Amino acid sequence: MENLAQNIINGLMMGGIYALIVLGLSIIFGVMNVVNFAHGDFVMLSMYGTFLVATWLNWDAIATPLITFPVMFLVGVITYYILIQPTLREKYVMQIAVTVGLQYLFRALTQIAFKASPRALNFSIIQGNIEIGGLTILSSRLISFAVSLLVIFAVYIFLSKSWAGKAIRAASDDLDVASLVGVNYHRTYAITFGLGTGLTAVAGGLLMTFQQVGPLMGMSFGLLSWVVLAMAGLGSTSGVLISGLIVGVAESLAIAYWDPRARLLVVYMLFILVLWIKPRGLFGRK
Amino acid sequence: MRYQLTPKTIFLTIGLLLALILPLLFGKNQYTTLLATNVLLYATLGTAWNIIGGMGGQFDLSAGAYLGIGSFVVGTLLIRFGFSPWITMFLGALIAVGLSLMVGLPLFRFKVREVWYALASAALVEVLRVLFIMWEEVGGATERFLPMYYDDFSKFTHMRFSSYVPYYYILLAMLIFAYLVNVRIRKTRLGYSLLALSEEEDAAAVLGVNVRLSKIKALMTYAFIVGLVGGVDVCIKGNLHASSFNAVQSTEVAILGIVGGIGITHGPLLAALFMVSIRELLRAQLGGGMEGLYMVIYAVVLILIAIFRPDGIAGILESIYNRIKPKISEENNGRLSDA
Amino acid sequence: MADYPMLKVESLTVKFGNLAAVNHVSFEVEKGEIVGLIGPNGAGKTTCFNAITGLISPHSGNVFFEGQKIVGVLPHVICKMGMSRTFQVIRAFKDMTIREAIRVGAYNRTAEKFVDSKVNEILEFTGLKNQAEKKCADLGLATLRRIELARALATDPKMLLLDETGAGLNASELDEFMTLLHKINTDRGVTLCVVEHIMQMVMGICQRIFVLDSGELIASGTPEEIGSNNRVIEAYLGKREGL
Repeated sequence: MENLAQNIINGLMMGGIYALIVLGLSIIFGVMNVVNFAHGDFVMLSMYGTFLVATWLNWDAIATPLITFPVMFLVGVITYYILIQPTLREKYVMQIAVTVGLQYLFRALTQIAFKASPRALNFSIIQGNIEIGGLTILSSRLISFAVSLLVIFAVYIFLSKSWAGKAIRAASDDLDVASLVGVNYHRTYAITFGLGTGLTAVAGGLLMTFQQVGPLMGMSFGLLSWVVLAMAGLGSTSGVLISGLIVGVAESLAIAYWDPRARLLVVYMLFILVLWIKPRGLFGRK
Repeated sequence: MRYQLTPKTIFLTIGLLLALILPLLFGKNQYTTLLATNVLLYATLGTAWNIIGGMGGQFDLSAGAYLGIGSFVVGTLLIRFGFSPWITMFLGALIAVGLSLMVGLPLFRFKVREVWYALASAALVEVLRVLFIMWEEVGGATERFLPMYYDDFSKFTHMRFSSYVPYYYILLAMLIFAYLVNVRIRKTRLGYSLLALSEEEDAAAVLGVNVRLSKIKALMTYAFIVGLVGGVDVCIKGNLHASSFNAVQSTEVAILGIVGGIGITHGPLLAALFMVSIRELLRAQLGGGMEGLYMVIYAVVLILIAIFRPDGIAGILESIYNRIKPKISEENNGRLSDA
Repeated sequence: MADYPMLKVESLTVKFGNLAAVNHVSFEVEKGEIVGLIGPNGAGKTTCFNAITGLISPHSGNVFFEGQKIVGVLPHVICKMGMSRTFQVIRAFKDMTIREAIRVGAYNRTAEKFVDSKVNEILEFTGLKNQAEKKCADLGLATLRRIELARALATDPKMLLLDETGAGLNASELDEFMTLLHKINTDRGVTLCVVEHIMQMVMGICQRIFVLDSGELIASGTPEEIGSNNRVIEAYLGKREGL
């Protein structure tokens, strides 16, 4: 019994981080109908970035987003202007092509730069265990979960209350009309892309407190993100959170009770299930 | 069908004749023959991809899934029962088609956004890979080796040749087949429907195009061809492993389809020639350690083509040809007037 | 057969979230008519069309085409039944030639063997024959609108919904277009429902007019009746465009 609870808790905590990762993707998708295939690899890059900053500056992983967030924000903005904007007027296939190209570019470059061996950080102030009711939880995971929730909440507030956030939401509503009206939505798009990418920096920092990073991790993060996105649908921050938690738990249970190799399998089956039953996602409003 | 003597037809005919005699030019060099066979393999996959990706406008990343299925059906039946790949490869292709329906039917429904198909197709490959690693009886973590045969007749019936040359011709035949399928589709209702829906799905629908059915037909055709190729591929490689379900390879197929020039039937062949040459050049100059570099180049080329020249290598060549053409006829005219 | 109107829209309601873009709209179109659907921007005209042709699902209400219920039916099936449309924002098949674009529509009711001649016939009828091999990407607005019309005509429709086909055309282009529409109606017997902002066009060719404002049908009648209807005048004066 304890085992089950332990696995569920672990799943929930990872799920929180997944939700954070997908939040950025969901905003980008909602606003400009672009799914950044390279999103999982942005996470991977963020993790490497965290590794570099932490190692060079001797910072704790938790503090790295102070540097990595602005950097990744910029990376997002640049990516938008160079890659996304030119292809917006072309066939959708080309838009996908460009982010797929980016995905492989990142992977290949990282492989060359860091070789195949994974990198990890040795120390973080939030390491150690916590005992709660007979369950042992890595404090790094727990704190990461808490931070994820905080950030998600902060983004939610930002989107609903701030001026920039409202502009982003307006752009999302006017997806079809925007091209007619010819409003300068490019800047909003660029900021959106930057924001979505920047959020991966936070997730990356959190992940590095208890995980290692390898050049090919982008793929599994990518798959997880897409499943969460498919479940969450569009326009709902809470949807992303709940979907993230569900996927996290499903993955955790799959690893524990079926086969560690099957974690992707279960996730994919969830994906297909969602697309069969509710193509608009479980929580989408569109 | 009317045959027009366009420059393209001339090039293709010359290319075909060249392709037919190429292995003879290589002589005993198995390495170059293998290289050429690989070019043909990728060209076939790319040409098949063109049906769903170029004409249908779906960014498919599942070539590895159908390739792997074809490989496993042929490989397993050969290892276990000695069944001839000449027959089982069609079974493999049909099973691949069935698999494609599992993905296509839910994902091509009206109003499901196209990006989900791309994602699902990518995930399909990975999932199959894991499934086959876990499935000990058929797959498993270690490679299974295909049986070898020692007399010419057995080699032929079991498609296990000791030279690459026969495989070269088999794949050449498949490339031609894939090409002809493309041409046929393009001239008929399915082709027009696909091209229309890939540009403006709603407009196509109100003009009577059954969007879902068209996409499914395209997908099934593509899966069939790739499944066939998978059956041949396993015989070439001589071993069977879940790594046949290769996500990177699937992406390469899509890259070929795009870099060649989206929707252009002979595009993937040109792209395959181009890409394999680059890879070989890198390998020769920099050695095996720089494997990652060719992927960087592929990715950059893909991005550049997607942004600047969607008509791809085929389009670039055509532009070059168009620029040279007036100069050629100028020269000819000059000479005529001299005489 | 003649008992049913060609198109019957019954209390159609389309909602986006809580907003009713089309609110309990009802009207009928008889076979062979040319009717107009007008109203200020945002009145819900295109949304109406989208719901009728199956591109979006209405919240409630019904649509009958020749007596058959078409709500929930897919657009291509509706096209097979005999109704097609053009779009307000041009949705050209950019990489195709005019001939190819028209061919897409021609396959709706014409078998492969006869498609070539059908396409030629349409090219002739719509005056696009000389430009048949040009790519749709390179053409001007008036031609593009003509192509949209030709494509839809190639499907052999009994009824066509035309969404702002006159927008952006100059006076002579408009005249030509109106003549073409008339020809389609009289020579080929196609029932037309036209969404338009250009009063000259509406008054010129429509036999009856329906007026929408903020999703509701506020008036219907002949052009003369509508032209002097106070409510209609108010609806327009209250927005940017005038009569």
